[in-house]
Amino acid sequence: MDVSSLPISPSHRGKLISAGYSSLSSLSSLSPSRLALDLKISENEAVEILKVASGRSGQDKIESGSRAIVNGAQTAWDMLHEEESSKCITTSCSNLDEILGGGIHCKEVTEIGGVPGIGKTQLGIQLAVNVQIPAEYGGLAGKAVYIDTEGSFMVERVLQIAEACAQDMLEYNTLLRRDLVDKQPKSFLDNIFYFRVCTYTEQIAVINYLEKFLSEHKDVGVKVVIVDSITFHFRQDFEDMALRTRLLSGMALKVMKLAKKFNLAVVLLNQVTTKFVEGSFQLTLALGDSWAHATTNRIILYWNGNERRAFIDKSPSLPSASSPYTVTGRGIRNSTSNCKRVKLM
Amino acid sequence: MAPLEDLERDYPIIDSNFRMFCASHGIFTDTDFLMHDLSALEAFARQDYAPQKLEHGIKQILSIIESGQRPWLNGLELLEDSQLNKCTLSTGCESIDILLQGGLRAGHVTELVGPSCSGKTQVCLKAASHVARNSLGKVVYFDTGNSFSPKRVAQFLSFSPDPSTTQLNKTVERDMSSIVCHSVFDIFTLLDMLRQLRNNLRSQISFQMRMLIIDSLSSLIAPVLGGGGVHGHALMATAGLLLKEIAHESNLCVVVTNHMVAGEAGMLKPALGESWKSIPHVRLLLSGKYSANGTRIKILKHPYLASGKSTDFVVI
Repeated sequence: MDVSSLPISPSHRGKLISAGYSSLSSLSSLSPSRLALDLKISENEAVEILKVASGRSGQDKIESGSRAIVNGAQTAWDMLHEEESSKCITTSCSNLDEILGGGIHCKEVTEIGGVPGIGKTQLGIQLAVNVQIPAEYGGLAGKAVYIDTEGSFMVERVLQIAEACAQDMLEYNTLLRRDLVDKQPKSFLDNIFYFRVCTYTEQIAVINYLEKFLSEHKDVGVKVVIVDSITFHFRQDFEDMALRTRLLSGMALKVMKLAKKFNLAVVLLNQVTTKFVEGSFQLTLALGDSWAHATTNRIILYWNGNERRAFIDKSPSLPSASSPYTVTGRGIRNSTSNCKRVKLM
Repeated sequence: MAPLEDLERDYPIIDSNFRMFCASHGIFTDTDFLMHDLSALEAFARQDYAPQKLEHGIKQILSIIESGQRPWLNGLELLEDSQLNKCTLSTGCESIDILLQGGLRAGHVTELVGPSCSGKTQVCLKAASHVARNSLGKVVYFDTGNSFSPKRVAQFLSFSPDPSTTQLNKTVERDMSSIVCHSVFDIFTLLDMLRQLRNNLRSQISFQMRMLIIDSLSSLIAPVLGGGGVHGHALMATAGLLLKEIAHESNLCVVVTNHMVAGEAGMLKPALGESWKSIPHVRLLLSGKYSANGTRIKILKHPYLASGKSTDFVVI
């Protein structure tokens, strides 16, 4: 197997090939000090390279014990059962939950985009609060990671939404005549991990750091990662468009991996731009055509007269549908009913 | 390109004496061996003190090199192979099958390219469930965007949660167990898994695998392609060649999906560039937004069908 298919940095790869190590077998019985001397790199770097190479070369041998075609794969039947038993994060608007098939699903990356002022940040904050609803009320009892790139996260608003959520849970207590857990609004704030990023490099760094953060805090139970918004730093004065595409697709893959590995939902908020399509200017989500493929689901928020509506644009299993919603003092709610009670279960 | 030391493990005749003899002529790997003048080497071997062993060694290396080659085939053998082994698998959509004169062919790498939401994943899921439902064999699905939806596959297999239909559900369970899904998030992992798959299939453990779907290959290659280095192109070409090798050797249908990027004059063109264009055998373009009324699919490239033919299809 070739050295060029090892995931090592290009400079190391160039040095390996020019020193004559072009196949994995030539690296198999080499000591790190010898490699460090040949390539003129530090011994730690040589140890890293040899570790990667030995990990790869072990896979060439056929494991006679395993009967699987591909190690680590799951059958569709097992995945179906897993999906059926997993819970969704409710958006507190029953119409929206209905078209989403229950809410925002875990293990998927959902992109939500819309014009300014339509309620994207509000929806993000609502999800960060709703993910903490205890299991007795049908929630995930998880924590949230909120990555803020625009600075639109207002703690007072989060407290307001958390108070409304706690109030609704108390009302359910009386309805069901059960003495369930009484959650304080301030405890909602405790469970939101907040990161503020100011440049695109910081944004990429935070996403890279999240993997380490989540594996260290595995018992903590983060169930949603919200990025508000992914577009902001990539729209301003980015000279090299090809670099932007590469960075964005790399970020999308990392975020997908986080969603799958840690069984959480990732919500990415996006902005809009105009596109000249078939003779007219239409509003589409920003970041271009290649980003459109990067997410699992896409929801577009738009105005219909005076009403806010959400439209499922892309989903592997849900049909295209749209539903109305409103933004109230208590958060995201159904638009038609005047009822203050939100459907939690 | 294996150094000669590695060959000693399996072929003891290539011992240290032989290697010293080769080293004295500047031969360290089997590639050096091929580039050297073999008749001159044999003449030197005859003058050595142990001519028999050295000549055996030379013959052994030549046979090792030859066994690594693909065998020469003539047209008749290829035709027989194509008629016996390379059958067509239906995609599950009648109109696409009619367009492709049967469906997806084993041994071909078929690329589905289209803008966002044109139905590429739906076609892949439908084809996978069709293979599963007709018990034609196993399907391996490499998913890069967490868009493999078991619920949708169950819908295609007409699964009903009604407990009275347990018999039906048992068949659905059997069918869905033949679709195996793995998430891949970077190109290096994909290359490893393809190599592992190729080795497993070669060792002839009976898997009865019929289809390999990668959805989508372009999102794995996009982060490494471009940027002034050719490494991305090399990885893309390696992946393409591995896929073609697996498709041909194990008689599989390989389906990959690709997305579109902005080209000249605002028109969309397939991603991955010019060098990717020659790699898949069949390229199908899905245009327009996927709707209940149907989407257009067009042949961009095919070994024996006319390109430009198109049809409308709908995935129910």
